[in-house]
Amino acid sequence: MAATRAGPRAREIFTSLEYGPVPESHACALAWLDTQDRCLGHYVNGKWLKPEHRNSVPCQDPITGENLASCLQAQAEDVAAAVEAARMAFRSWSVHPGVVRAQHLTRLAKVIQKHQRLLWTLESLVTGRAVREVRDGDVQLAQQLLHYHAIQASTQEEALAGWEPMGVIGLILPPTFSFLEMMWRICPALAVGCTVVALVPPASPTPLLLAQLSGELGPFPGILNVISGSASLVPVLASQPGIQKVAFCGALEGGLRLLIQESVWDEAMRRLQERMGRLRSGRGLDGAVDMGARGAAACDLVQRFVREAQSQGAQVLQAGDVPSERPFYPPTLVSNLPPASPSKGSSSVPWPVVVASPFRTAKEALLVANGTPRGGSASVWSERLGQALELGYGLQVGTVWINAHGLRDPSVPTGGCKESGCSWHGGPDGLYEYLRPSGTPARLSCLSKNLNYDTFGLAVPSTLPAGPEIGPSPAPPYGLFIGGRFQAPGARSSKPIRDSSGNLHGYVAEGGAKDIRGAVEAAHQAFPGWAGQSPGARAALLWALAAALERRKSTLASRLERQGVELKAAEAEVELSARRLRAWGARVQAQGHTLQVAGLRGPVLRLREPLGVLAVVCPDEWPLLAFVSLLAPALAYGNTVVTVPSAACPLLALEVCQDMATLFPAGLANVVTGDRDHLTRCLALHQDVQAMWYFGSAQGSQFVEWASAGNLKPVWASRGCPRAWDQEAEGAGPELGLRAARTKALWLPMGD
Amino acid sequence: MFAFANLCMYFRGTYSVWISKIQVNHPAVLRRAEQIQARRTVKKEWQAAWLLKAVTFIDLTTLSGDDTSSNIQRLCYKAKYPIREDLLKALNMHDKGITTAAVCVYPARVCDAVKALKAAGCNIPVASVATGFPAGQTHLKTRLEEIRLAVEDGATEIDVVINRSLVLTGQWEALYDEIRQFRKACGEAHLKTILATGELGSLTNVYKASMIAMMAGSDFIKTSTGKETVNATFPVAIVMLRAIRDFFWKTGNKIGFKPAGGIRSAKDSLAWLSLVKEELGDEWLKPELFRIGASTLLSDIERQIYHHVTGRYAAYHDLPMS
Repeated sequence: MAATRAGPRAREIFTSLEYGPVPESHACALAWLDTQDRCLGHYVNGKWLKPEHRNSVPCQDPITGENLASCLQAQAEDVAAAVEAARMAFRSWSVHPGVVRAQHLTRLAKVIQKHQRLLWTLESLVTGRAVREVRDGDVQLAQQLLHYHAIQASTQEEALAGWEPMGVIGLILPPTFSFLEMMWRICPALAVGCTVVALVPPASPTPLLLAQLSGELGPFPGILNVISGSASLVPVLASQPGIQKVAFCGALEGGLRLLIQESVWDEAMRRLQERMGRLRSGRGLDGAVDMGARGAAACDLVQRFVREAQSQGAQVLQAGDVPSERPFYPPTLVSNLPPASPSKGSSSVPWPVVVASPFRTAKEALLVANGTPRGGSASVWSERLGQALELGYGLQVGTVWINAHGLRDPSVPTGGCKESGCSWHGGPDGLYEYLRPSGTPARLSCLSKNLNYDTFGLAVPSTLPAGPEIGPSPAPPYGLFIGGRFQAPGARSSKPIRDSSGNLHGYVAEGGAKDIRGAVEAAHQAFPGWAGQSPGARAALLWALAAALERRKSTLASRLERQGVELKAAEAEVELSARRLRAWGARVQAQGHTLQVAGLRGPVLRLREPLGVLAVVCPDEWPLLAFVSLLAPALAYGNTVVTVPSAACPLLALEVCQDMATLFPAGLANVVTGDRDHLTRCLALHQDVQAMWYFGSAQGSQFVEWASAGNLKPVWASRGCPRAWDQEAEGAGPELGLRAARTKALWLPMGD
Repeated sequence: MFAFANLCMYFRGTYSVWISKIQVNHPAVLRRAEQIQARRTVKKEWQAAWLLKAVTFIDLTTLSGDDTSSNIQRLCYKAKYPIREDLLKALNMHDKGITTAAVCVYPARVCDAVKALKAAGCNIPVASVATGFPAGQTHLKTRLEEIRLAVEDGATEIDVVINRSLVLTGQWEALYDEIRQFRKACGEAHLKTILATGELGSLTNVYKASMIAMMAGSDFIKTSTGKETVNATFPVAIVMLRAIRDFFWKTGNKIGFKPAGGIRSAKDSLAWLSLVKEELGDEWLKPELFRIGASTLLSDIERQIYHHVTGRYAAYHDLPMS
């Protein structure tokens, strides 16, 4: 018999039956850091970039504080070099057939599979997250993401005809993130032919390792470049020539809010506490812990939160097997917290805290859940299918799990609404984030520095009477179309509209901030009723409007004629407008579908839901067709709208309003005339407008994008580029449908 | 022990309403079962100590048509000396009196087992299966008689099978009455009720049957006979453990849990220990409240202990057969 290896402790453990350490060796992670001499630079164009004379930041083990490596901080020229590499790579990467890209992504997945231990130990070592989470969750999903997007790339020519890759994508990662969040963004970008420059926060080695694995695969070294540097480089990256889109990435999941029905409150809380008591926390690289630690900053944050909650009289319960020293923090259950003001600070619960509060009815739960500025994901637990679905449909979030939590799959779009942002990852929706309709001009990255956000559209130029209206046609309708009827503007002023020969065509009301407020309110009132209608019912109404348009053809055509359109063309524009209404009515009936994913028994429903109140600023050209082309998809998908019609000739939109007044429920579509910049300002700064489409000047576009950051509403701005509204692709293409609704994924696991 | 009259009243009254409303969330149970296996492992000394502890939970079982007194005798010897003495010495555990929790045999072999254990000079209890094991498809009268005879022969623990047809047709009160009669027939002997969960159709039924078996006075509830196509699985175990916890919360009585069937590897046994530890806590990790029904598990545990002590993997002939 060989020498005895048994330790002395078996006797004690036999009695106590305690858990012991299950250390996961991270020797390979350290060995990898050694290959870089413990000094990490940037990974650009398939090579390590270690410029001289740069500041460096230590990369530390968040638990022991031990220095693992030093990381060089990028400067503007390093960013420029990375973008240049990505631009060069884009030239070849984007023109290769999808199959070639598919092969490359598959090879990357295989490389990750072969070196997964390095990946998971490195990630766990530097982030402090439980290694089990990274090993069984993130690393596996990363490979699935690559495989899924390889398949998408291989069918791109057929499935995504009419779309082209945007170009170089700038990806910004937050201070704490999982490398998986990066994968959710780079996989679709690379699949469709874009190349990526990722700006990662100081001391994040995992993205660099991924870039190295990808770069060493050979033929396309520059498709994924990683630069590490401070947040001050974000504007530098965004303004690099060639950057076509800047994508942001959310931080690690924070704490949770838990709503429990009063009738089961005591029972549920008891079970929750019991379970919390069994949670184990410890070093991330221990294979038997449930939670790791997220470093000192996260620890400070949660300590502040809990102290604050206690001072407000909340009950705080902490349990679990947790090391007592910093930066470990026990799982914490907070209840009895007085309702906080829905400001940004208090709406986010830090990790690892759960705030529980009771509710009386499902309806109340829905109101509470929707009453936060966040809209990422939620789960519903109920044994009653009807009730669970009611809540699942009603929750304003991007993902709903029924009787499950935290599931993800590459084929299921993940996104959000409200302040959780409006971009999508995974599934078909994720691909469109990095595509644009073929032929659309590229984004110019330089923003105008002359635009004064404080004064843009602030003042309305005064208008004076310009004489009486003349001409053969009947006097045009007058007023702001709000809440289903024509109203006098708050300013009690009017604005003259001239025809193509410079004569007075008519007066339109001069709308202002108060009128916009009224219009948005009216649209909100109409929204629940309209969104609740079946697509068929919505289609019927659009068809009725199309018929009304045709009846009004001669009036509309003659007004177009006065704007200098030939009669034939004018009639054609009216007819095409009617066709657009009918087409969207029909299209919206065939939307949404069911997905089948691995690891879940049961379907995932991909729902297309209306955005809410949509503000549309129409282009000057095509005063009728553009107005209708934008109105039709917006309404078809269940939105209600506030529209600013063509500034050059708003009269055609007002003519259509006469029919809408008789056909539509009040508030469904509202039309506000007046000074375009002023109305744009009012709409863009309105916090309760859920999305905005702007077709106008580059300056206006820039303002709208800036102002909309206030509530992170999705914005579609033309940046001063004209659109061919009479062409099918630009006037009625799938892009409009994509922009007119948002996706929700509803997970429905089954089982008896 | 139990205040049976009280429980009877409970059952006839509010509890039957409550039982009828119970719903087990299947997907959630599956997810928990997945997690628990991945999240808890023990290594090195911890593993060795846990494995030795697992030995003390084993109901060392043989339930074959070809059982005779000679292999029963060998089984009993193995129950008394489950791990090679020198291995225990190396772990400094030789004076802990480590034996299996019981031996478990068919009623006709109870006498052999009692005799063999007596000869070995130990008081390891003999458990006997009964009530028409494994299908339970015999007359109630003979099923009850079977219990009495096994007890007469010296079995101090009786593993009964429930009448699955009563569960599948929703006759909960009839099921309760039958188990009460089993209880009475056992007298002083411990009653372990086998739910045969692989044949109950749903997790909700598993929960209800667990609850009724406990209300009717079982000392243990046991997953399966080992003869069904699906035996001890984690999802089923979670449901039964939650039922045990709920019963404890409602009545203050601790009922034991015995998974059986398909538990063959040392690694499996560790997972079962951590499952009970996670769901019920350390109080349940003692032979009075936790058993593992197994026949081949013990030899795999012994091999692992051998490896832990020596650093080598054992040859087949290094360890005595059971």
